[in-house]
Amino acid sequence: MRLTRRDFLVGSAALVAGSSVSVPFLLPKYHIDCRPRRSRVAILQAARYSQELDQTLAAGLRLFSIDVRGKRVVLKPNLVDYAAGDAINTHPLLVLAAAESFRRMGAKSVVVAEGPGHQRDTELVLSQSGYQESLRDEKVRFVDLNRDELVRTPLRAAYMGMRDLWLPRTVLEADFLVSMPKIKTHHWAGVTLSMKNMFGVVPGSRYGWPKNILHWKGIQESILDVCATAPVRFVIADGILAMEGNGPLNGTPRPLGKIVLADDPIAADATCARLMGFEPERIVHIREGSRFLGNSAPELLDQVGETVNAPATPFEVVPEFQDLRFA
Amino acid sequence: MCFDSKQVSHYKVPTMTTDRVVLSGLIAELILRQLPCGGWAALASSSQPALEPTCFAALALGLFPGGALGRAQEFLLHTQNPNGSWPAFAGDDTDGAWVTSLAVMALHDVIPAIPAKLRGVHWLMSFAGKESNWFWKWKFRTTDRHVRFDPDKFGWPWFPDTVSWVVPTTFAILALNQLPSSCGGLEQVPFRVERGVEMLLDRVCPDGGWNAGNGVVYGVPVAPHPDDTAIALLALREHERHPVVQSSIHYLERIAPSLTAPWSLAWAILALAAYGRPIDSLYSSLVALPKLPNVDDTNTLALICLALDYQRALSALGVTS
Repeated sequence: MRLTRRDFLVGSAALVAGSSVSVPFLLPKYHIDCRPRRSRVAILQAARYSQELDQTLAAGLRLFSIDVRGKRVVLKPNLVDYAAGDAINTHPLLVLAAAESFRRMGAKSVVVAEGPGHQRDTELVLSQSGYQESLRDEKVRFVDLNRDELVRTPLRAAYMGMRDLWLPRTVLEADFLVSMPKIKTHHWAGVTLSMKNMFGVVPGSRYGWPKNILHWKGIQESILDVCATAPVRFVIADGILAMEGNGPLNGTPRPLGKIVLADDPIAADATCARLMGFEPERIVHIREGSRFLGNSAPELLDQVGETVNAPATPFEVVPEFQDLRFA
Repeated sequence: MCFDSKQVSHYKVPTMTTDRVVLSGLIAELILRQLPCGGWAALASSSQPALEPTCFAALALGLFPGGALGRAQEFLLHTQNPNGSWPAFAGDDTDGAWVTSLAVMALHDVIPAIPAKLRGVHWLMSFAGKESNWFWKWKFRTTDRHVRFDPDKFGWPWFPDTVSWVVPTTFAILALNQLPSSCGGLEQVPFRVERGVEMLLDRVCPDGGWNAGNGVVYGVPVAPHPDDTAIALLALREHERHPVVQSSIHYLERIAPSLTAPWSLAWAILALAAYGRPIDSLYSSLVALPKLPNVDDTNTLALICLALDYQRALSALGVTS
């Protein structure tokens, strides 16, 4: 068979077109491997929000070899919006307990920082959710990440297809970044735990309210890029009163009675997912994150405190995420 | 009347009413926070000049013209992007941002800025939510229907390559409404404003009021926000009799007395004043908030100044009360 000039040109064009479509999918999405050899997770029992959380959390933190002496600690709670009686936000008492613990452990400074994704009036969310008064009483500084100084930051993973993000200086200069999520289901991401909680560091002043660009670039992809770029050093997850169903705003409160601590966000989220009755490997950002950001496999986790017991009835989810639940 | 940070005490005279004293103190604080470049940072502790606080500060200082206002206008002219838009902050990428609408309004009465404003307006006319494109319209009609909205009714996004949202659409409408009707080359302005108004009416929450722009998600109503509601109402002043506007005014009147956050309270005062609703008690509440000059967020500080002189502020925003 003879190859004509026309065949050659058509073939070349097809090859170029095919490559331009397929190469982005074949290129590696990450060039780092932050996975520790083993990860430690603690599940603490806590039936309600009370002043006793201080002691519970302090005892839990002693199960880890954390050294924050002289370090700038940034606590990143999940503070989205406020609705009376709902389990939308990380409870302020847990955040205060964490601030107090890290101060006692010798931190140079402890700051609470968040950039609410839905509500532009951060002060309104702070006052309605009880944060403002609590933080003022305990003299804990709050930084609105939606309006903090921004630094162009190259992304350390390439799932979104963006080279960089403008990220808040407070987060980038933190020596010890603690993600403090509310354990919730999420109608776009399946779950919102310590990894999804990091959406809050993406500034509204640069990316809008909600941070719509992350949705357009892919929520799971964005979670991975943000977590690779602003590494979480520790997780304190609020599962005392969790949320199921149409989260993150309109779900139903679900008492879980637990706080999850971990020195690895992937390990934390995998454990939280199991506590919700979900298979972590079916949650895209946890599965993909376990390739380079942390550990999700039970054999790589040192479990302390309570053991992981999946609930008799898994958390409710929107129909698109029914397959997350254990069979 | 001209304010200068070195002359703050001069304005604290006993003959002034309490609110004027408060206002003069806040204006003085605003001037103190102005950066050497002429812009303002979003937070008092920051030194990164940003456009939103600069535009609100310039609008607030427009009530008291002076050197600080001139420096702010110079800063705005210097930070305009080559494509006519304005960035979110000095040093940002040059694609453009929603604050272009604010910059156009902040430069409204500045004659030498007319060419810059026109370039800004042309950019605004080219800037639209992604759902204005046929492909995304089709997608939102067929496969992506969890958020209830009509993709035929589009406005403006916060930043390029995303869909329309309530706040950027409102400010774009306000900015475009300030154009003289004789402006040549901008024949599409009425069409875009009309679509923007339709989009706002479409995105309302079921019981009135607006949030960022998601009225119903997964069939469940999402709660409105007082600031977003007040801002949207400013752009709908000419549609007062529309049921959506009426229910949203009622929502705002209901929620406003409970507000203790100055940003939302200030927007509520501006919106309710625009519709001729009673605001005396809200105004008193705002003046009585403790430590107003210590507000960390400079956007909020400037907005309080605007709310305390709401008639002139509404005029600066092109809203007739």
